[in-house]
Amino acid sequence: MLISQKSKEIIDSCRFCWMCRHICPIGNVTGQERNTARARMLALSLVERDAEPLEGVADNVYECALCGACTKECVTGWDPVKVVKEVRSELIMKGKTPPYIMKLIENLQNTGNVYGIAEVDSELKAEIDSLPETADTLLFLGRDAIYKSPKSAIEAIRLLKKAGVSFTVLKNEPDSGYAIETLIGKTAESKGVMENCAKVLNFKTVVCYDPADAKVFLREYKEWGIDLSANVVTFTSYMAELIKNGTLKVKKSNKAYTIQDSALLSRDLDEVEPIRDIIKACGENREMLIFGKDTMLAGNLIMNEYMPDVMKEVAQSRWINARNMGAETVVTECPAEYEMMLSVKPDGIDLKTVEEVISECL
Amino acid sequence: MQLNSFMMDMILSEFEDAVGRENCSTREIDKLTHGVDYFWLSRMWADRGERMPEADIIVSPKDAKETSAVLKIANYYKLPVTTWGGGGGTQGGALPVAGGILLDTKRMNKIYDVNTDSMYIECGTGSIYKHIEWAANEKGYATMHYPSSLTCSTVGGFLAHRGIGVSSTKYGKIDDMVLGMEVVLPNGDIINTSPAPKHAAGPDLNQIFIGSEGTLGVMTKAQMRIYDQPESRQFRGFLFHNMTDAFKAGKELLQKFKPSVMRLYDEAETSTLIKKIVGVEKKGAFMNIAIEGVKEIVDVEHKIMMETFAKYGAEDLGSEYGEKWWKEKITFFYPGNMMDLPQLFGTMDTIAPYDKIEKIYWEMKKAVETNFPMARFIAHFSHWYEWGCMIYDRFIIDDVPEDPHEALRLHNAIWSCGVRTALANGGVVNDHHGVGIKLGRLMKEQYGPAMQVFEGLKKSLDPNGIMNPFKLGL
Repeated sequence: MLISQKSKEIIDSCRFCWMCRHICPIGNVTGQERNTARARMLALSLVERDAEPLEGVADNVYECALCGACTKECVTGWDPVKVVKEVRSELIMKGKTPPYIMKLIENLQNTGNVYGIAEVDSELKAEIDSLPETADTLLFLGRDAIYKSPKSAIEAIRLLKKAGVSFTVLKNEPDSGYAIETLIGKTAESKGVMENCAKVLNFKTVVCYDPADAKVFLREYKEWGIDLSANVVTFTSYMAELIKNGTLKVKKSNKAYTIQDSALLSRDLDEVEPIRDIIKACGENREMLIFGKDTMLAGNLIMNEYMPDVMKEVAQSRWINARNMGAETVVTECPAEYEMMLSVKPDGIDLKTVEEVISECL
Repeated sequence: MQLNSFMMDMILSEFEDAVGRENCSTREIDKLTHGVDYFWLSRMWADRGERMPEADIIVSPKDAKETSAVLKIANYYKLPVTTWGGGGGTQGGALPVAGGILLDTKRMNKIYDVNTDSMYIECGTGSIYKHIEWAANEKGYATMHYPSSLTCSTVGGFLAHRGIGVSSTKYGKIDDMVLGMEVVLPNGDIINTSPAPKHAAGPDLNQIFIGSEGTLGVMTKAQMRIYDQPESRQFRGFLFHNMTDAFKAGKELLQKFKPSVMRLYDEAETSTLIKKIVGVEKKGAFMNIAIEGVKEIVDVEHKIMMETFAKYGAEDLGSEYGEKWWKEKITFFYPGNMMDLPQLFGTMDTIAPYDKIEKIYWEMKKAVETNFPMARFIAHFSHWYEWGCMIYDRFIIDDVPEDPHEALRLHNAIWSCGVRTALANGGVVNDHHGVGIKLGRLMKEQYGPAMQVFEGLKKSLDPNGIMNPFKLGL
């Protein structure tokens, strides 16, 4: 395989080590041996040794959510996610990408989103149209919010309006590159999408509603050498600052909130405290047993396109974790996890986005 | 039987009917990932680009009922059935060496009850042990079973191989931690062992299936003990002049109370692994002790320990090393810290009473180092009882034959040499990793005519011999 030497080292180090098995959100719900970092690396090590064809591992590398739990768990620093991304690139280059992934790529090319949705929700469109054409601050909504979670996007816009922030949303917001990079890894195509997006981010501040886009802007663009003049901040850190500096005046309630930490924020961007600052300002913070940087994924909308049953179980599993700790209201930080958890929400526990929690306390 | 493609499809469709199509697999990815466990030989085989023997069908039942259906089908067609939990075993016990059916238990991972009235968790045996630890932690309790494989092995895997954790001296082995079990017999009958673990209603059914390594049936549900979180946990590191003094001190301490962690490292392991991970630079035999429980009692036990060990000339190293060891107790086993390929290595853990244990250590060291001069031999003693303790002795060889068949012969010769020396001096085939295919040939050497008890059980419960063939010497 045309993968990096580092990835080859990771494959040979991880192929016989099971230490991260318990933390994989996919393996935990499927119970399938192949859904472990070690199984994936073992199979790839056999591909490297010509004992298994590359196409034999194609499906398996798309059963990984890239959530980084295994990487975080490894005390010796191996990174199975890096390998998975490189093998996805290898598959596309060799024309061996599974057909259900090719369909998502086609959707992306045809409609600008992997879901193949042509029209933006009319209420969201009207909300965006109500904003000024130009401003110093851009709220970057992202594909998941625009096409799969428009109500959350509307709530976020309205909250920023209430805060009196001068901001806008792009009427034809481009893809940040998150989806294509997820599907085929770091390729020239991914870079092209990112470069196109970077051209329209000429703002003083870009507030990323979706942690996925924040991660791409702050990490992947840097790795590709794509310069962003804007100050990129996450929605949660931006809202926490608005509360801290008194722009948003919230009243503390007697409600208890349980945070579903986004892996993209906590692990990829090292951001754990802003959401807690918000929750502490709005009520009581009641943690799950596994939280912060150790968080477990609660759902991924791209994977939901080709593994819907598994994604539902992933979200259900997180509901069980929350219930076991006596959660009353679970608070999400990203639209994908909100929508996935909402799709299987049990009775007796509430689910709110961070903007909903803040809005209720104004 | 010969599985031609027609019969393969016929049989596969029966299994799909039993457990659902999505829970039956003949995919290459599933076959190959169930073909390699933590057994050095299977890893070496894969490392050399060779494919291990693989199952024909991987089946994942969700409960006893589905497991029963699987075993009935397998029995009708006389197909081998190998049970797989986490695949973290070192003895090849979960390897489907005879092909046939690989029964993966990990869908049986439901936590049915965290029973704080009677202090146990009832769970499917496919539960990862760390997950039942989390379930206990969520209620403020703990399982106290902390082996290095805590995060990767299943409840059933630990039970099948009689596993042990680092706090065993106080809390016991896995076989001390189980109240009752649900087991599916090879003929598909579903049985429950007993409403309570201690009784006089005949022999202990739990202990017949614990350690049977999938040769007598499939454990599908278990009630595992949970404990209060200790109010106090105190660590202390000591350096003994030699191991003889350490054994005497340890034995004396065990007559007075039970620490949770009690680990003695020989001079070789003190100067290598312990130096690297914990930072002890001095020469001698390092012993790490943890005492835990109610604070007032722990304080008294701590005083007794200091007085006892002082009598044997132990140097008090304070609490720092012990705390560091506790924090790093699993770090030892991550890739990069642990022995790994291309090295040839193995752990020949055995156990014996105090009057034999030190002799076993020296005799095994001499036998391995004399017969295999290229081997290094290191050991620690980590599970202690009032009457004896366990040796966790390891051999390491850096230059290994390139030819996998030659490497296999060398591997097996060292194992036979080491284990036979343990047996000749009063030890057992294994302490807590099990037997598997690695040591099956040595079981009759330990048990002699007593082996017919196991063989009789096997013949009676599994007359077609389908359950995990070639394991446990059965």
